[in-house]
Amino acid sequence: MLKLTVTALLAAANLFAMSHYDVAKKSDDIMSSFEDAKSSMSMILINANGQQRVRTMKSKSLELDGGDKSLMEFLSPADVKGTKFLNYEHAKRDDDQWLYLPALKRVKRISSKNKSGAFMGSEFSYEDVSSFNIDKYDYKKEEASTKQLEGQEVYVVERFPNYKYSGYTKQISYINTKTFLTTQVDYYDRKKSLLKSAYFTKYNRIDGIFRNAKIHMKNFQNSKESILTWKDETIKNGLSNKDFHKRVLKK
Amino acid sequence: MNHTMRQPMRQILLLSCCITLSFAEIQTKGYIALDSSIYSKKENKHSRNMTLQQQLEVNYINKNFSSDLQLYAQQDTTDFTSQEDNERSFIRLDVLNATYDWNEQSFTVGKSIKFWGALEAENIVDTFNIQDKRNDPFITDKTGAWNIQYSNFTEDGELSIIAKVYEQKNELSSSSYMYYPFEDNESLGDSLKSENSLYRPTVYLNYSGSVYGEYSLDYAFIYQNGYDSQRYLTKLSNTYEENAYLVNKLMTYNTAVINSTLYKLEALYTDVIDDKSVSDYIHIALGVEHTLDQLENGAEVGIIGEYYYYETLQKDRLSDIQLSQAFQNDLFLGMRYNVNDEADTNAVGGVILDTQYNEQSYYIEFETRVNDMFKITADYRYFNPSSTHDTVYARLGYHQRAAVNISYHF
Repeated sequence: MLKLTVTALLAAANLFAMSHYDVAKKSDDIMSSFEDAKSSMSMILINANGQQRVRTMKSKSLELDGGDKSLMEFLSPADVKGTKFLNYEHAKRDDDQWLYLPALKRVKRISSKNKSGAFMGSEFSYEDVSSFNIDKYDYKKEEASTKQLEGQEVYVVERFPNYKYSGYTKQISYINTKTFLTTQVDYYDRKKSLLKSAYFTKYNRIDGIFRNAKIHMKNFQNSKESILTWKDETIKNGLSNKDFHKRVLKK
Repeated sequence: MNHTMRQPMRQILLLSCCITLSFAEIQTKGYIALDSSIYSKKENKHSRNMTLQQQLEVNYINKNFSSDLQLYAQQDTTDFTSQEDNERSFIRLDVLNATYDWNEQSFTVGKSIKFWGALEAENIVDTFNIQDKRNDPFITDKTGAWNIQYSNFTEDGELSIIAKVYEQKNELSSSSYMYYPFEDNESLGDSLKSENSLYRPTVYLNYSGSVYGEYSLDYAFIYQNGYDSQRYLTKLSNTYEENAYLVNKLMTYNTAVINSTLYKLEALYTDVIDDKSVSDYIHIALGVEHTLDQLENGAEVGIIGEYYYYETLQKDRLSDIQLSQAFQNDLFLGMRYNVNDEADTNAVGGVILDTQYNEQSYYIEFETRVNDMFKITADYRYFNPSSTHDTVYARLGYHQRAAVNISYHF
């Protein structure tokens, strides 16, 4: 009985002792170590009248210490089929980004300032669909609070983008106290108003690593929604830097 | 009337259907488009133009092997509705190549289209393919070139040796087309003249790479030995002969990223080997592209500024005007507005100012998508050419034009 009580007390102490950063770090850890990933993605764009449009793409990413590399190829709509977006993410400086425009057979360097722009006209921005990097945010110093959200106990973690050109001033993430999986993120715009919320409605566990399977983004300012779904995802495929060389854009 | 030219459209449509149905593992894409232009009236020219266009691309990848095919066909409606044919109906094989990749190397043989450059208004180093001069000179429409390429890839770069194995002659429309470059009673000869065989290879040694750091840089250096992309014309009676000549050429194109601004440089030096009519020359272009903060509605605004300078290095040779060099001392100022909506709606406007011959060209382009399948592009252009010099724009004359292109993509 004493042992059980001590364990419960320690667990409770641990629960309440976690800072915003600690929660974010632990949440990041259970999503990390995938080494690399390949998946198909589809995105449903829903306008304020409820009309839907579908976008599809293929994605590859490589987990690296200094920042992940990712390659995305757009498959639909048909006029952008074959357009590719290559991103080298950096924690401490601007990302390196290139766009391949198949109609011109041109690889074009782009400014990472575009990261706050809409991703394929959706309610996701480029920075939303980039790999999450814990070092790209500052965190509230005090301990993270908890609350009940949709029947789950969650940590409330406040983070502030510290990289240039973010479209947000603050993000509040709600992280399950047991699984440390993110259930919801609220995004605050440059005017510090609530812009949109992302609902992480499905995860896949692949080789013991949790991966996002479905995110539903609701924009409260324009009443539009977007649902991003990952399909057929595989991790630890043996991808290397070679698979993210600029040469792959023209293939 | 050119009834036989309707066949290519049918053939390419049939081919695209067959390939899509028979080889599901092969990726195909393409479009069918209707392009319509209206011009301010010019004597003996069609004041409007309608063209049916189709492009089909087929791509096959199997492990280390890949192959690409790109066919383009167009039918100018005046070629079967008018007594004065524009002679702008044709089918064109632009890409047909095979590539084998192994380790850090690749080998490609066949017909290809390449892009070299960094700037927006004009890419002076983009010399590998020729522009199809039967079409709108303000739209990029390159013809493929037969070549062999070997590439070796470093961690952040690429070293390529390319041999273009044949030098192509330019094709022109008939004089009734708005952008026919000569007088009505003048024509272009049937062959491309040269001191050497047109099968004499043009060799390119291309080294490109990237430097990463607080400020990143993409760079490329190209050495070329062979036929110059610049041509000159000699007149015999009412026929112009197109002349090609050999050069040694050094080219570079670079993009530096500093904060939210792209700084661009394209430059070339050309040493003419075997022709006494053409001088050695330099061509330099500098550009800046800056993305402004996002607007409240999520739209993006970008501004572009570019300057082009061309200079011949020897006297008593052909001048920039005789060589039809349009970007010889020109300033381009442009603005891009991207709505960032699900239809990818965007507009680009700009002005090209020739500071030497006092010419202005203004344009605005608009693009959006309807129902995810149809894309609509519209543009308006205004040309005010030199009144004192026989420049390229002066030969086209003062005019305005508006164009709409509606395309179905598959």
